[in-house]
Amino acid sequence: MPFFLGVCLAFPSFAEKQPAQKPSPAVQDFLKRVERYADLRNSLEKKLQEPGDKAEPEEIRAHQLALAELIRGARSEAKEGDVLCPEAVKELKQVLKSEFQGAGGKTAKATVKESAPAPFECKVNQAYPANAPVSTVPPDVLLKLPQLPEDIEYRFVGSNLILRDVRANIVVDCAREITSLS
Amino acid sequence: MLKPRMGSLLLSLLLSGILAPEWSTSALATQSTGGPKVDVTLPQKSGSVRFMVVGDTGTGGSAQRKLAETMVAAYGKFPFEFVLMVGDNLYGSERPKDYQEKFEEPYKPLLDAGVKFYAALGNHDEPQQRHYERFNMKGERYYSFKIKDVKFFALDSTYMSPEQLKWIEEELKGSNEDWKICFFHHPIYSSGGRHGSDVELRKVLEPLFVQYGVDAVFAGHEHFYERLKPQKQIYYFTSGAGGKLRKGDLTRGSPLTAAGFDQGQSFMLIEITGDEMHFQTLTTSGATVDKGTAVRREKLRSQQNLATEAAPPSKGPADSTSRSDKTKSSNGSTAGSE
Repeated sequence: MPFFLGVCLAFPSFAEKQPAQKPSPAVQDFLKRVERYADLRNSLEKKLQEPGDKAEPEEIRAHQLALAELIRGARSEAKEGDVLCPEAVKELKQVLKSEFQGAGGKTAKATVKESAPAPFECKVNQAYPANAPVSTVPPDVLLKLPQLPEDIEYRFVGSNLILRDVRANIVVDCAREITSLS
Repeated sequence: MLKPRMGSLLLSLLLSGILAPEWSTSALATQSTGGPKVDVTLPQKSGSVRFMVVGDTGTGGSAQRKLAETMVAAYGKFPFEFVLMVGDNLYGSERPKDYQEKFEEPYKPLLDAGVKFYAALGNHDEPQQRHYERFNMKGERYYSFKIKDVKFFALDSTYMSPEQLKWIEEELKGSNEDWKICFFHHPIYSSGGRHGSDVELRKVLEPLFVQYGVDAVFAGHEHFYERLKPQKQIYYFTSGAGGKLRKGDLTRGSPLTAAGFDQGQSFMLIEITGDEMHFQTLTTSGATVDKGTAVRREKLRSQQNLATEAAPPSKGPADSTSRSDKTKSSNGSTAGSE
């Protein structure tokens, strides 16, 4: 689903305020890529027993590690920019620039900066570090960014934006220097 | 050996109930001999909803464990049914042994007694905690549940997506319970020096809370206790010193603070009965640093409508703090020391 349409359907008050817009070809391309990743993750997950809602810690941990290994195996050739492709990153950069500008943008930027974990080297397929908290992504920013499939989320790590798969706890992709938090 | 006169005095005090023996209240109280002495002042009315609120617990360290002993002693005096965990349930790694050391072991007596824990996710928590049976999250990052006439809404404040906003709006709109209580990690009002109010989150959540009649909000993230002056008639509490502590971080003289404590770990006991929510905040030593009673918003409104009908028109809108501070409290010294 085009991200803007998705946003409008999910959040009617936003839809009322904003004219409908077709996402650019670059964003559509990005959304196709991230959907492909989600499809792969979901199909690999079917090979594993789902933890459900009454799991023990051993099951949760085993499921997460096994899923991460399956994804790494299936994406062994994956490299930075495969999902967050350069053309889309340019547009996301503009979205963030606009969201972090002005008086309103100052608090959004401060929220991200204040919550950001100590920078760590982001690599595709690596585990999100256990001792690193996650940055807050302000709700207004999430409203403007293309909507991601379930359990894939945007997070800031320093000035980088990563896509994190929370089921496998791995970095799907990373866009470097996408925003300046200084 | 007691002198005969002193012995008869003790006996008469025991019989009159002034010196109630601690072992009479519950089996758990007998296990806490030598532990902290806790004096619970909540009304303990029949049929009330009783729970505990605590956040930022999951260190597995001695401070968390000592506070847990006080919780167990408090349970002996005030058997609460469940606990709201306001996030940062497990710091650092989340291996099976971390679940044990940072959650199951410290709270074992409560878990064994059948107390249910309902968790919200913090910025140190992996969302996969939603699958853990003892966090009762139903496999969801945000969820709701109902206890008698109180509806609770757990939110994931680290990622307030459009879908989640739509969900909370629909949930609140569809809720007909007397009380609506939200709990999540990041406080939208706070006097913390390190973090402070999450203004971005407030922009999207507060209008929904006001529109759909949320009565009280519990948060963590700030490693201290703070009771905020009611904002737009909503009560806000931060209870984020369940394991971690940021000593001295509560801004002195903050216009937001109604009461606070940042000198030690703490947790809250809550009892809801009818239109009143009674609260008491305890420290590791069992000292009470805040207590009081909050009145349900609908009740407040009807009282205000009655007052408006009886009184001449006012000059204009008062500020949100002074208009709605109907909390009756005591022991609420701001940022006091234990």
